[in-house]
Amino acid sequence: MKLKHLIAVAAMALGFGTTSAKADCSEVSITEMDWASSAVVTYVSKFLMEQGYGCTVQLVPSSTTPAVASLAETGEPDIVTELWAAYTPAYFDLKEQGKVVELANVLVDGGVEGWWIPQYLADEYPELTTIEGIKANPELVGGRFHDCPDGWGCNFTNNSNLKASGLLEAGIERFQHGSGETLATAIAAAYEDKAPWFGYYWAPTSVLGSYPMAQVDMGPYNEEAHNCNVRDDCETPAMSSYPTAIVLTVATTSFADEEPEIAELMRNVQFTNVQMNEVLAWQDSNNASYEEAAVYFLTNYKDVWGSWLNDEARGKLAALLQ
Amino acid sequence: MARYEGLFDALGLREWCDADKTEAPMSMAQLLAQASGGSEEATGPVLPFPSLDTLNEACARIGQTRDLTEGIEQGFLAIRGQLKFVLDPLTQPLSWMLDGALWVFETAPWWFMMPLLILVSWFVSKSRGVTLFVAFVLFFFAAIDHYNVAMQTLAIVFVCTGLSVGFGVPIGIGMSKSDTAQRMIVPILDLLQTLPTFVYLIPLIFLFSVTESKLFGIAIILYAIVPVIRLTDLGIRLVDKDVIEAANAFGMTNRQKLVRVELPLALPNIMAGVNQTIMMSLAMVVIASLVSAPGLGVLVLRGIRNLELGVGIVAGLGIVLLAVILDRVSKAALARVDKQRNTH
Repeated sequence: MKLKHLIAVAAMALGFGTTSAKADCSEVSITEMDWASSAVVTYVSKFLMEQGYGCTVQLVPSSTTPAVASLAETGEPDIVTELWAAYTPAYFDLKEQGKVVELANVLVDGGVEGWWIPQYLADEYPELTTIEGIKANPELVGGRFHDCPDGWGCNFTNNSNLKASGLLEAGIERFQHGSGETLATAIAAAYEDKAPWFGYYWAPTSVLGSYPMAQVDMGPYNEEAHNCNVRDDCETPAMSSYPTAIVLTVATTSFADEEPEIAELMRNVQFTNVQMNEVLAWQDSNNASYEEAAVYFLTNYKDVWGSWLNDEARGKLAALLQ
Repeated sequence: MARYEGLFDALGLREWCDADKTEAPMSMAQLLAQASGGSEEATGPVLPFPSLDTLNEACARIGQTRDLTEGIEQGFLAIRGQLKFVLDPLTQPLSWMLDGALWVFETAPWWFMMPLLILVSWFVSKSRGVTLFVAFVLFFFAAIDHYNVAMQTLAIVFVCTGLSVGFGVPIGIGMSKSDTAQRMIVPILDLLQTLPTFVYLIPLIFLFSVTESKLFGIAIILYAIVPVIRLTDLGIRLVDKDVIEAANAFGMTNRQKLVRVELPLALPNIMAGVNQTIMMSLAMVVIASLVSAPGLGVLVLRGIRNLELGVGIVAGLGIVLLAVILDRVSKAALARVDKQRNTH
């Protein structure tokens, strides 16, 4: 090991480094978003890039808005994982300007957004999984709709849908959380007490992975109504469920050109919701870190990630893939 | 990796260690070792610190660090019922006061509220410049449609500062009278000033409903109460010993000494503490908005989240303006107190 390093350093010093860096992968920066599924994607990608392709991977702790802003202004980080495109209008501008390329739908099935009640509530009162049922008995869900914080895209959509559904008139009060943390804690606290809860959340997340929730039927998806609902000034709100959210892996165009092999790998890194939910549920029940959840995926889904690699990388990781 | 295995073998604890052994989650280091296919001993430092995780690898009976954190979580959830029974009714008045103050500040019309606030600042500060500045800032908020959010923030700051002073001054007096009390309280004050707010706010959501306004009230008060306690304590301790001796010579009771001698002499320090408490409650406005406090903090958060830089900057400067008027008014009041004392 040490000798190899020495030779590599010597080669770099002698100026061979520049040519060989093109063939191998050099440095890659990848975002580490602050929610569970994205962190698993990041750690799995990091492992594959480092062990299979010999990259040096730098994790950039971030969240969507700052990551896209940094992408627009500085062209860094190289790869952004789990970009929920619908809530990142700036992304489409960047794509049009040719600054970024879309590599893959990292969650193949797409993200699920919606209104939820805890499973125990749905078991006891099955009628609560419909809007009509909640309107008839608002007190059974606690008389309150837990809405997402101001500044999140879902804020306007939920507001429009609430107006259209007539829940407010039926006695449901809209409570707007200040942050995603309190929204998640509200679910966990309700579960501890087996208390009523009704509000917005999304999957795959470790919250929905560890606290089974039943989706409230918001009716079919109506594109025209939804496009109005997402706006602050929607004058004719109409009920529509959320479309399946497109969740992307994005890279800067220059990075995709310079490192085609890594881009190819990241095009293949895709998870189904079943896989992701299983990993997140395991992580939660074992109290494991994101990194350990990635290890769990790497040890239990060898066929899946084995097929993502090119032949050379598969050779390097052969010891694990057996 | 398992360099401490020999130690447990030598102590004859191997059997105890391996009893009901369960599979722990595999760590990245173990996976990397597997991937390189080499012997495990080749990687890692020669002598790792015998931390819980390291010892756990050698002896499964020893808990990992995550078991410690898990234990704390379970312990909290276990006593949650009792905590809730005590703390929920005890803190309920805070919710009522915050909701009441917010209601008053929101429903009172601007043509009533603005003159009232200007009059109050005149009576407190007795300074024409400060009063004019307050009037200017209030009109500025109204002109840019930030009047309502500014009033919400002001209502929260008034309630929280009032309660901080109400509790902080007596605690400070108690601290100044007993060295033991001071030794016990100072570490708590240090803790309150440094403990990240969310570390105790998130557990509080398990005790109270997340919709209660007392959540952010507690966050603000716990942070803002510290300076008024510290400076009350300091102020009373700094009172000249000769003056106390003179008071004793007059045969004053402890109560008379406190009310007629110590508190008046300590007043400049206490007022400086009040001023700092106001500033600290304003500093907490954005964090309070993370637990659903209304006001300027919400706009700051929206600005950050949507990259609406203008919204964030205007709201942030709004908080600064509120801080400046509250600071100037309380400083002017402090100056009046000083002046009165010096002319005696």
